[in-house]
Amino acid sequence: MKSRFLFSNKYKPVGWFLFLSGMILGIILMLNNINFPNWEVNVFPLVSENDFFSSPAFEWTLNNVADEIASLLVIIGGILVSFSKTKDEDEYISKIRMESLIWATYVNYVVLILAILFVFDISFLSVLIYNMFTILLFFMLRFHYVLYKTKKGVADEE
Amino acid sequence: MKNNIKVERAIQNITQAKLAEMIGVSRQTVNAMELNKYVPSTVLALKISEIFHKKVNEIFFLDETD
Repeated sequence: MKSRFLFSNKYKPVGWFLFLSGMILGIILMLNNINFPNWEVNVFPLVSENDFFSSPAFEWTLNNVADEIASLLVIIGGILVSFSKTKDEDEYISKIRMESLIWATYVNYVVLILAILFVFDISFLSVLIYNMFTILLFFMLRFHYVLYKTKKGVADEE
Repeated sequence: MKNNIKVERAIQNITQAKLAEMIGVSRQTVNAMELNKYVPSTVLALKISEIFHKKVNEIFFLDETD
């Protein structure tokens, strides 16, 4: 079956590798207040605040890029895992895929709405950080769970 | 919509896996159709009718909820 916007199946293992590396790096960073590992590199901020905590925009400055790398790995890996075709992608699996995406969007925003109502100030910053990845995470969990369940259903049939 | 894929499959002595391979879908899809959990596309229905040498509406039929 032709499916638009999906990657070839061969990107799925690549996606898992990038995603898990990013998750591990992210967890290590979270446990160390984003201070370790400290991979300082010259960066060029395009947008910045004019205050004590920030480096000015349009000037080279040192920044620990470990958190940027972790974010990119999780997002790119997550996209590849989520949107690479399964080995036997067909119309039924595409339906499961679409339903899981709708489900993940709802769950993601329900969680966000609860966080908006009950989490404030600096704590809300963590919500925003996690929310960058949760929609992909919820999708991956639901999609693979339903696939596993239907596969198990087939095995039980025999 | 209901169907009698399972019956036709038994008559022709074809396993779910074999039928899945013949029509180019996953085994989950054949299983889901037989359990009436999934309504196949017209293309898939026509492929199934070709395999069983029967008209589409002899394999698939509407039920009260449709």
